[in-house]
Amino acid sequence: MTGRAAAARRVLVLRCPAWLDSDSASSDSVSSDRADSDRADSVISGSVSSDRAGGGSAAARAFESVVAIAQDFCPQVEVLRPGVCAIATRGPARYFGGEAELARKLTEAVGRSGVICQAGIADGLFAAGLAARAGPTGLLVPPGETREFLAGLPVGVLGMPELCELLPRLGIETLGQLAALPSAEAAGRFGPPGKLASRLARGLDPRPLIPRPPAADLSVQLEFDPPAEQSEPAIFAAKALADQMHDRLAVAGLACVRVQVLVRCADGQELSRLWRHDGLLSALAVAERVRWQLDGWRGAAGITLLRLVPDQLVRATGRQLALWGDSVPSDRVARAAIRVQAMLGHDRVTRPVLAGGRRPADQVLLVPFGDTGVPQRPADRPWPDQIPAPAPATVFDVPLAASVTDDSGREVTVSGRAQLSAPPAWLAAAGGQARAVTAWAGPWPVTERWWDPRHARRQARFQLVTEDGAAWLAALQDGRWLIEASYD
Amino acid sequence: METGIAQVISLSPARHRDDVLTGAGLLPVRPALRELLPGGGLQRGSVVTTGDWGLLPLALAAGAVADGAWCAIVGVPAVGVRAAAQAGLDPERVLLVAEPGPGWTQVVASLLDGFDVVLLRPPEQPSAQLRRKLEAAARRYGSVLVIAGDWPGAQSRLLVADAEWTGIGTGYGRLRARQAQVIASGRGAGERARSAWLWLPGPDGAVAAAAEPADVARDSSRGGYAGTVQADPGEPLVSSG
Repeated sequence: MTGRAAAARRVLVLRCPAWLDSDSASSDSVSSDRADSDRADSVISGSVSSDRAGGGSAAARAFESVVAIAQDFCPQVEVLRPGVCAIATRGPARYFGGEAELARKLTEAVGRSGVICQAGIADGLFAAGLAARAGPTGLLVPPGETREFLAGLPVGVLGMPELCELLPRLGIETLGQLAALPSAEAAGRFGPPGKLASRLARGLDPRPLIPRPPAADLSVQLEFDPPAEQSEPAIFAAKALADQMHDRLAVAGLACVRVQVLVRCADGQELSRLWRHDGLLSALAVAERVRWQLDGWRGAAGITLLRLVPDQLVRATGRQLALWGDSVPSDRVARAAIRVQAMLGHDRVTRPVLAGGRRPADQVLLVPFGDTGVPQRPADRPWPDQIPAPAPATVFDVPLAASVTDDSGREVTVSGRAQLSAPPAWLAAAGGQARAVTAWAGPWPVTERWWDPRHARRQARFQLVTEDGAAWLAALQDGRWLIEASYD
Repeated sequence: METGIAQVISLSPARHRDDVLTGAGLLPVRPALRELLPGGGLQRGSVVTTGDWGLLPLALAAGAVADGAWCAIVGVPAVGVRAAAQAGLDPERVLLVAEPGPGWTQVVASLLDGFDVVLLRPPEQPSAQLRRKLEAAARRYGSVLVIAGDWPGAQSRLLVADAEWTGIGTGYGRLRARQAQVIASGRGAGERARSAWLWLPGPDGAVAAAAEPADVARDSSRGGYAGTVQADPGEPLVSSG
């Protein structure tokens, strides 16, 4: 069942570094090689981390132009995430005269639109993704040589942080060594991640696909009459449709690896995209992809039909919710939240997640309702220079400009050795009336990220109490006074 | 066994009747806030005002959220989520709608159907008609609308009348706790004004009952830092490392 025949699917991965680089620059990755392995991870899982959904949406929009070019070569394009897409090469390679020719023509066509891209061809999606990164223009791995191609690569490319740390300590440093382990041993020793890693290392697809699609049609659709002129109603409907689709899949005991979103317009135009997401796509995740698709494509006419087709069905192995600690919104709460999302937009209805950080504004991550976000800086680590409890009740996302002056009206300054020029006597926040400072404490110097010139920050912090009883967290940074938060 | 069943039978209709009579009852609040509210909790379907935005509305919602309710915060882009968590409001059960836009009343009405507590800082003063619409929505869904601001038809009004920070001096110490007098007044006839001294917040960020500060201590300090929590000049604000 897990023979080489299962790996014979030839895949071309098209990778546009421009999207990926801007992505990694915006994220706070600890080191660049980790960012690179994260990227490889995303190639396999095709997941778009939702805490970057804001930027991701814009990237997905711009990437539509590249996908459209790829569609001229092969109508079935799988978007793995903004910046990376894949096509099956079997048909197009025959038409365009071989895989090498296909890759050349495709990169040239994309290059003509002003986007630099790499194309890699190999057996299976994982290897093709790595082949695309292998050289300046990508690499063609001949059929049957994928395992040899993978054998020399370090296990880090698997993008499984825990496993990648463990395996080298056990002496397994390359995918070749991992592939040499019997699959059952890998599964027994390292659990499901080990089994997955072992499959990938041997050039197999991450999991066996059901060989033939079930006969029943599991697609769901909704017609709009009159046509929906804006995308919001369609996105709203997509959530309900996705729920319906999941219900049908659940009845059949299946889950889908990909979902095809088809939108038809009043003028007969159709737009169809395949979105990949290993594991279950939640209803909201599907709706988010519908949003990207509609954002990137402004049809002149209204939308008349929205259809979701589950693709690449696998047996549902189930997902376990945490016994407790997982706050699952009730239907009533979710319905109210989704209704407001339909009014305001997906990103403007959020759930707060506590994160780590030194500044109060860094300590919260806002995750759009329905997405899951894991803070990059966990809250449960020691954060020296954090302000101890009580925390301020109002935290300004963008600090307010302020002016703090001494008795003679001169701006208070702090020397490099944290020496105060004079005690603060007056505080004027955001151009408002100056208020007398009745109590104050500081300066507390904070030096953040001195190793990273782009994000480095030096501050002297103060707590100030003004005559009206209000208390403020103020900071002097680059010679300017800022108010970061206010206590009650 | 028989008495057990009899008890169940005698109990359940009573509880049911109780729910109907009080409009599905009260949402619990933190113990320190109980004496401020008629009935010792947030009356479902009512509107409560808290003066300006601050820790008080967050603390009001904390008890209900700890009891399993969900809370939506509308119109406050700068919520101190950590302060909310320290006051006992679990962020996992909070929904933020920072900018509800021009159709904010519709947003609030939708949220009232689903969320037991909605904290709202109105982006503008609503007309009497819009106010009545939201009051009706709160009544219909049995939710509580907590307003940071002014709301003429509110059933209860809480106000921080007097507050003093302790722990901070002129150039030493740090903000440790705030002792605040909260005054509550109701709308109904014969509703007496209630008042309580609270730690808002206390040294660990939680909200707790506080003793009324001695007048002598208050008069002697300009900034009010000679409270129960002593200023500690020797201790730096930040831990080193």
